[in-house]
Amino acid sequence: MSSFLVISIIVVYLAFIFYVAYWAEKNSKSKWVNNPYIYALSLAVYCTAWTYYGSVGLAATSGLKFLTIYIGPIIIIPSWIILMKKIIRITKGNKISSLADFISLRYGNDRFLGALVTIVCVLAIVPYISLQLKAISETFNVITNHTISGNSIINDTTFYIAILLAIFAAFFGTKYTDATEHHKGIITAVAVESIIKLVFFLAIGVYVTFYLFNGPSDIYEQASLLPNFNSQQTINGLGGGFNWFFLSLLSMVAIMLLPRQFQVAVVENKRERYLKKVAWFFPLYLLLFNVFVIFIAWGGNIIFQNQGVDADLFTLMLPLKNNNEFLALLVFLGGFSAAISMVVLSSLALSTMLSNNLIIPYGFLSKYSRGESKENTESIKNIRRISIFSLIIVAYFFYKNFTLDRSLVSIGLISFVVIAQLAPAFFGGLFWRRGSSKGAKYGIIIGFLVTAYTLILPFIIDSQVIESSFVNEGLFGVELLKPYDLFELNLFEPVPQAFFWSLFFNITVYVIVSVNIIGSYRERNFAEMFVDNSKYASLHEDAYVWKGEAYVKDIRKVLIRFLGTRRTERALNLFFMKYKMDVNNQLADARLVNFSEKLLTGSIGSASARILISSVVKEEEISLKEVLSILDETQKTKETNKELQERDKQKDDFLDTVAHELKTPITSIRALSEILLDNEDVDYETKNKFLSSILNESERVSRLINNILDLEKLASGKEKLDLNKNSIKSTIHKSVEAVTQLAINKKIEISETEVTDANVIFDEDRIQQVIINLLSNAIKFSDKEKGKIAVRTKINEHRIEVSVEDNGKGIHSDELISIFDKFYQVKNQTVLKPVGSGLGLAISRQIIQSHKGLIWADNVKPIGARLTFTIPLNIKKHEKVIDSR
Amino acid sequence: MKKRHQQKLIILSVILLFLFNIPLILLFNKGVAFMGLPILYIYIFFIWIASIIVSYLILKKYYE
Repeated sequence: MSSFLVISIIVVYLAFIFYVAYWAEKNSKSKWVNNPYIYALSLAVYCTAWTYYGSVGLAATSGLKFLTIYIGPIIIIPSWIILMKKIIRITKGNKISSLADFISLRYGNDRFLGALVTIVCVLAIVPYISLQLKAISETFNVITNHTISGNSIINDTTFYIAILLAIFAAFFGTKYTDATEHHKGIITAVAVESIIKLVFFLAIGVYVTFYLFNGPSDIYEQASLLPNFNSQQTINGLGGGFNWFFLSLLSMVAIMLLPRQFQVAVVENKRERYLKKVAWFFPLYLLLFNVFVIFIAWGGNIIFQNQGVDADLFTLMLPLKNNNEFLALLVFLGGFSAAISMVVLSSLALSTMLSNNLIIPYGFLSKYSRGESKENTESIKNIRRISIFSLIIVAYFFYKNFTLDRSLVSIGLISFVVIAQLAPAFFGGLFWRRGSSKGAKYGIIIGFLVTAYTLILPFIIDSQVIESSFVNEGLFGVELLKPYDLFELNLFEPVPQAFFWSLFFNITVYVIVSVNIIGSYRERNFAEMFVDNSKYASLHEDAYVWKGEAYVKDIRKVLIRFLGTRRTERALNLFFMKYKMDVNNQLADARLVNFSEKLLTGSIGSASARILISSVVKEEEISLKEVLSILDETQKTKETNKELQERDKQKDDFLDTVAHELKTPITSIRALSEILLDNEDVDYETKNKFLSSILNESERVSRLINNILDLEKLASGKEKLDLNKNSIKSTIHKSVEAVTQLAINKKIEISETEVTDANVIFDEDRIQQVIINLLSNAIKFSDKEKGKIAVRTKINEHRIEVSVEDNGKGIHSDELISIFDKFYQVKNQTVLKPVGSGLGLAISRQIIQSHKGLIWADNVKPIGARLTFTIPLNIKKHEKVIDSR
Repeated sequence: MKKRHQQKLIILSVILLFLFNIPLILLFNKGVAFMGLPILYIYIFFIWIASIIVSYLILKKYYE
């Protein structure tokens, strides 16, 4: 295919991607931009050109091993979504914009740690980016020349593509100074590319499997005749098993800690619930991507047997060899899109780290503390733009000079191992509050040095063909120090070996230093906030302990330098409103200090934010103990406050009802009195009627008030029960007598034949009150014609049970419990206001509870309701009965 | 999501870790073909699909 045609197709494709990003930015509210699938697809940036070509290469040369890169993510994804929730909450809560910021903030805004993480990431990822450029360049050469020689001509097309990618990343990635803003354009473009690369890869997979061969079994049968086939398709014993295990562990770490994964999964996450889709969608995506890998690899092995074709290029060579140029072009575009989405996202993530954690905190802070907001924000953006360009260009030259002859996988795995050095500090920081910044720093440095010794140095020596006995004989000829076989363990391949030893030393140093050296109080404060995130997240700015002297106007000045006057004022106003503080407050407190640090973190990184804010405030040292106790206290106050609020609300509700209940009779009293007062010539009969109404209503009011007082006295325990030994039978009898007249009026029969006598200790007046209340309720709801009420008792060892049963229509099952609430009145009562105050049963319950008894309601068959209460028999005379509520 | 259901996901991860690693994976580490393909591939992809289905079901049911 002619170079010109391919280049124009690349340009058209890039224009399309630019357009997608531009469209997404413009329609940033659209549901096409904001949905969980875009999020899940953007995670597929994990599948780079390495997956596209390298997996096949690896499968063709060493068989199974390629799967470990995907098995790690598959294993971790179910727990990943839980972990991610925590990480995302911390990140959003603290305005973190990158992995370096996350780790640096966790260890107390540590500037050096942030810079260290940044350097480790850059060292790991730049070769990885150059790997992508290499893939682009090589496949471009293949598709244009039909030869496989990648290094013969210096073809500059790749360079221009790299520049275009840098422009793309810089244009869509640095729109905002606040790096925590979502880059919807880039993410949507990456998601679209994820679809493209998968579809095209599936196309070539189907083509190889079903067009070039007759299905999977056919390929397998032919491939199994090849030499070495069987040993490639099995795990080589226990040693092979260990390699397998450590490689899958490595990819597990990589899926969480690669800067681009952190960028898409955490920083660009819009809603937590998007995680739900990822849990099945992402493994499915990886599954589809991997189904055909072995078939393409085997097919390539069969067709290109002994022809010296680079296995990494099988995917592209297979259609080319069969003169299917269109399909080859699709494959090329798929690999191209896989490569560019990785390049763009990685350079974006790294540029944020570089600017916020290395360049600004170490170089530009003093300049910024004098500059104006416009200059500052422009300068921050420029730093990021320049970072993006330099990263991509450095990667380009790295590819030109170093990685020419290496397979895609080896460099990718080295990057993974380097990134894995951040794992102890990261995960330790999430779950272990004692993990300290010193431990993290030393751990990362040692781990990196071990990786350099066991993997990077020998790799450079190998690939640059430097004469050295280092690899084969060890440092200074000491066999034990052979880099690929440290301490002559003889178990691992180079990559798992480096992974194992580097993490072993890394973790050991991290843990030992952490437990031996006490961190600063600031560090511990953030440790608490990170580890116990769910507990402290609700405290917001209160979770930050700070003591000292600070003035709002100084802090405002600093904020204005970065946010501008308008945004600063808006943010501060919101802050004052949130904490109900006076806007004219002169002195700033811990919350404002923390709030302003957070505001700045998104733009200039946590370490710089801290340095800037602390330059205008006077901070006092606090002891670690103090920090912890203050945190604890804030937490408790928050809880007590919640409880108090709850109680307040209950009281409010109660008062509302009381006011309402009082208002009705008082209104009618007032209306009637007014009529009587205004009309002197009211006839005698009406006057009498009115007056008796007034009397009734005032009785109701006073009854209500008495009841309320009663209830409150009982509830607050102000009134002591007058406990004496009483005969329950006589109490019941007295109560029945009290309502006899009422019952006779309504022609209701009350039977107390089933009452057995017992001497029980209780407050006779109160229990009588309860029984009368139950009886009058029963009378109210009994059958109109043949009303019957039965009082019964039951005695056992522990308690006496008294029940009042009527034959009315019963209580609706929804209401069996709520009838005991204050002012609860049964729904299907007659329209007329009932005689009761609505407090009777509430008071009864209170009385029974004061006796440590129980009261409940149920329905009896065939018809009727039964209310039962119990009194325990073991109450001692004049024992202080405590309110049991 | 309730703690209990979250733990289901973590347990799934742990089970997958065992199923995909030594020693369990060595059970299928034979050059035998099953349904026309090496049994190890069949095993890995089968577990893979099963894990997708299980996490889908857990999340569909319990994710709030």
